[in-house]
Amino acid sequence: MADIAAPTATAAAGNRRSSLHKLVQRKSTIAFLMALPLILLIAILIVYPAGYAVYLAMLSKSMTKFVGLGTFEFILKRQVFWDVVYQSCLFAISAVIFKAIIGFIVAHLVHNIPLKGQRKWRGMLLVPWVIPPAMSTLAWLWLFDPSYSAFNWILAHFGIGAIPWTGEAGWARFCVILVNIWAGAPFFMIMYLAALKSVPEQLHEAAAIDGASWLQRIWYVNLPMMRNIIAITALFSLIVTFANFDIVRVLTAGGPLNATHIFGTWSFKVGIESGDIPQGAAVSLFMAPILAIAAAFILRDISRRGSEV
Amino acid sequence: MANAAIATGAPSRPVKYRSMSHNRRWAMRWSYFFLILFVVFFLTPPLYMLITSLKSSSEISAATNPWWVYKPTLSNYEELLGQNQYLIFFRNSALVSVCVVIITMVISVTAAFALARMKFWGSATLATGVFLTYLVPDTLLFIPLFKMFAFVRDTTGIELMNHWWTLIIIYPTLTVPFCTWIMIGYFASIPKELDEAALIDGASWMQTLTKIFIPVAIPGIIAATIFAFTVSWAQFLYPLAFTTSTDQLVLPVGIVTTLIKGDVFNWGQIMTGALLGAAPPLIIYAFLMDYYIAGLTAGATKG
Amino acid sequence: MGFKKVSRRRFVGGTAALSSAMVAAPFVRGAYAAGKISVGFWDHWVPNANGATEKLIKEWGEKEKVEVQIDFITSQGNKLLLTTAAEAQAKSGHDILAMNTFLPARYADQLVPLNAEMEKLIADNGKVNETVEYLGKIGGKWLVIPATVGSQIKGPCSRIDYMKEYAKIDVQKMYPAGAEPQDKDWTLDTFMKAAEACHKGGHPFGIGLGTTSDCVDTIGAVFHAFGAVMVNAKGEIVVKNDQVRQALDFYKKLIAFLPEDVPAWDDASNNKFLVSGQASMIMNPPSAWAVAKRDAPKVAEQLWTHPFPAGPKGRFAPFLPFFWGIWNFSKNVPAAKSLLMYLSQASSVEKMVVASGGYDLPSFENLTKFKIWAEAEPPKGTLFSYPDPYHTQILSIAAAPAPHKIAEQIYNLGLQTQMAVRYFKGEALEKTLDWAANELEGYMRN
Repeated sequence: MADIAAPTATAAAGNRRSSLHKLVQRKSTIAFLMALPLILLIAILIVYPAGYAVYLAMLSKSMTKFVGLGTFEFILKRQVFWDVVYQSCLFAISAVIFKAIIGFIVAHLVHNIPLKGQRKWRGMLLVPWVIPPAMSTLAWLWLFDPSYSAFNWILAHFGIGAIPWTGEAGWARFCVILVNIWAGAPFFMIMYLAALKSVPEQLHEAAAIDGASWLQRIWYVNLPMMRNIIAITALFSLIVTFANFDIVRVLTAGGPLNATHIFGTWSFKVGIESGDIPQGAAVSLFMAPILAIAAAFILRDISRRGSEV
Repeated sequence: MANAAIATGAPSRPVKYRSMSHNRRWAMRWSYFFLILFVVFFLTPPLYMLITSLKSSSEISAATNPWWVYKPTLSNYEELLGQNQYLIFFRNSALVSVCVVIITMVISVTAAFALARMKFWGSATLATGVFLTYLVPDTLLFIPLFKMFAFVRDTTGIELMNHWWTLIIIYPTLTVPFCTWIMIGYFASIPKELDEAALIDGASWMQTLTKIFIPVAIPGIIAATIFAFTVSWAQFLYPLAFTTSTDQLVLPVGIVTTLIKGDVFNWGQIMTGALLGAAPPLIIYAFLMDYYIAGLTAGATKG
Repeated sequence: MGFKKVSRRRFVGGTAALSSAMVAAPFVRGAYAAGKISVGFWDHWVPNANGATEKLIKEWGEKEKVEVQIDFITSQGNKLLLTTAAEAQAKSGHDILAMNTFLPARYADQLVPLNAEMEKLIADNGKVNETVEYLGKIGGKWLVIPATVGSQIKGPCSRIDYMKEYAKIDVQKMYPAGAEPQDKDWTLDTFMKAAEACHKGGHPFGIGLGTTSDCVDTIGAVFHAFGAVMVNAKGEIVVKNDQVRQALDFYKKLIAFLPEDVPAWDDASNNKFLVSGQASMIMNPPSAWAVAKRDAPKVAEQLWTHPFPAGPKGRFAPFLPFFWGIWNFSKNVPAAKSLLMYLSQASSVEKMVVASGGYDLPSFENLTKFKIWAEAEPPKGTLFSYPDPYHTQILSIAAAPAPHKIAEQIYNLGLQTQMAVRYFKGEALEKTLDWAANELEGYMRN
């Protein structure tokens, strides 16, 4: 309210109440107009199609009659669907945890070396995040290739037999998660590095003088200061990882035996490739409740930010 | 070992104790050691792209040492850059990305200003809701979008399918929410006294935004710009779904669909294409990384 | 030039007489003169094979004064499938689109019937096999025309030297170029013994078990060879039968002799396995041979494409047909029909086949005798048996004769390969069948 009070104090002379009222109204109108493109964009290209997808999910396979929640009921009975739920959670949670850990460690390593060298290292470490994932995943695909795998070539030199990278369920899941970690860890590193830099130096010195060990200093000084950013980054990444499409699509296309299908790719498989669009839409919609849990946390954080305005 | 690596947080300060300076030297060595390990992990795929891109397809088929190029050749590059097609992908990608960045920034900066500094009915909800749009995945949206395109064509006669410029309309859904969110954070970090003073001096809201906020928020704007650029350059699903003709494709989809021929993978060319496709964002980062980091983190840490 | 003119007039006359259904648009030049038409064709895997199609279309366009926009769309990553789905949903896009396997059935109510055209083509070019009819003629109506480009038999492509060395089989003697096949002993049993021997020799067969078409087509033919039906023509689930059990037992035994990572193979994996010199045999049309010829000539010299081994119920080979269909939202149906007829005449077909190095296999009986297959080399005669010149095989598709909507899912989700891998990984046979029955129930959804 302070920002409104200030201009009114000078502008308002006689008819104090009504002009204040008018001004507020005018300001809110301008504000609304300024936000209008955003509102339209979200309404037309996100909210409306999302609603439409809900409607589609309630149609029969041939899309000729309305079946209500029938499609959802059907899906919940399918074993494959529960596999997809499990795999999506496994994929997103393990990838995010490792991304966070690697990001945290690398951020500390970079922070630890002299300032003038940091830029170079940071640049090299950021590369995976900058390459479009569809492109970099092609490189991984080629590295994992059954006949020409460059990794297996190295392993062969150590006398280790070829690993069926994308051929066996366990390895394939490992590969998909590995590529995701590879592509996403630099983002965590950058965010954490920035957070580290905002930790006041005096705190560390004080802790050092008090005889705190390196672990204590990280645990009691760095971690609390970085808490916020760790949470936001992890949640943002969780959403993006959960809804991932291109990495899995290019690397394994869901195979072998559907062992690497996640929500995005499975919905594509049933919806487009098998011609059951309502079921595809319904599978995608199941992401919502799971993501909503993540959203609740984000909401808390953002509403705190909003109340500050 | 890792303990030593992260032992001290004050790299640039003189240290008081002898033992500490000794520790620090070791900490530094370990830091470099582990950094090198991570860099190897992070740079292996791009390096392998480069190696493969320099090989002829018969050298690839021969299955010799995959990590070494015996007969380096630039033929993949020549072939790719000599093709009109690849240059068209590149042009489409560039046009789409630039337009999307402009649209994104106009929408998100004005909206973020309105949401961060002026209030209207529902503005708090909107500020929150913006971020929630990420909960709606693109795999859900593209089918309804087909139907909407059909509706647009039937009512206005404008065909949206299979045109690269359709992507300019669609991509902002992916970029605007995050950019708005960054900008709200950035604007919120600007002291209130600034705009109050401007308003007292009689500036309009629009003037306050363009004359005061935007100049101050340049790092945040650069960060958001780079974000928008990267996202639109890398998008895969929408162009895969909405464009087909080779003269309408953008780079990632163009490479995946024209260079990969089902049975026959032109790995040399694919890697060349992927490497060239990754180049523009890499170059932009090389120059603007510092702004990016500063802006991104200022926007995100605030609050 | 003269020949073309005649042939054009001939088919123009023919079509005009037959297209009585379209009184509003009689088939005369000018009805679509200076019109526009866009076609989406399958992007060929054989290097430079698109060129012939492009040239033929341009020729037609110049003659008919129709501006043609040609897109070659890859089937890799299912881009072609996605395009088809997108255009069907958006009700706009190309006038003609290439569709494979079950897509004509899926989009049956959005395609222009082509009965008259097909009758004419069958009269001119000979009849088509049952698989083509099963996939392209829906509810008594031809909805698509079998395309030359992309249609293929996925028979074995063997290494002459390895087969001789490890399996003691001379594939060249068994299927000599230019002469009757001597294939009495070429059965699934022989095949299994050969697979074992080659595996021992360090050069296993490269047969994928993923969910892409190469993998599914192969297992589909083996199922047919055992007479194993999972869903019958009436749409009843009959998966729990002895033929299915036999087929799975066969595959379980076979997988042990294949490379370890075959469950992850896609359509390119077997080719790479062959071209890299590791495989004794793969199941593929001659694109792998064509690539080997370019990149690994030493390997190509040892390749021999030939028919499938016979099972208890006969010698079945997987046939993967491509079709050309016309969307009912097309603004220029007459022109589209005219183009398809032009591309389906014998002289055009031969040009396409030649450009594909013999890869493309016309579905019409009289068009399987071009010189190219006898002449292709190295080694001389390597493709002679590819088009099945002595008609020793039954051309089939996996999951037939199930109703299309169900068969399509069995095919696209790779149900058979999934069953084989499950069983191989140690699941009890009956449990695998239970699982399959449950999956099949899911496919019944409509």
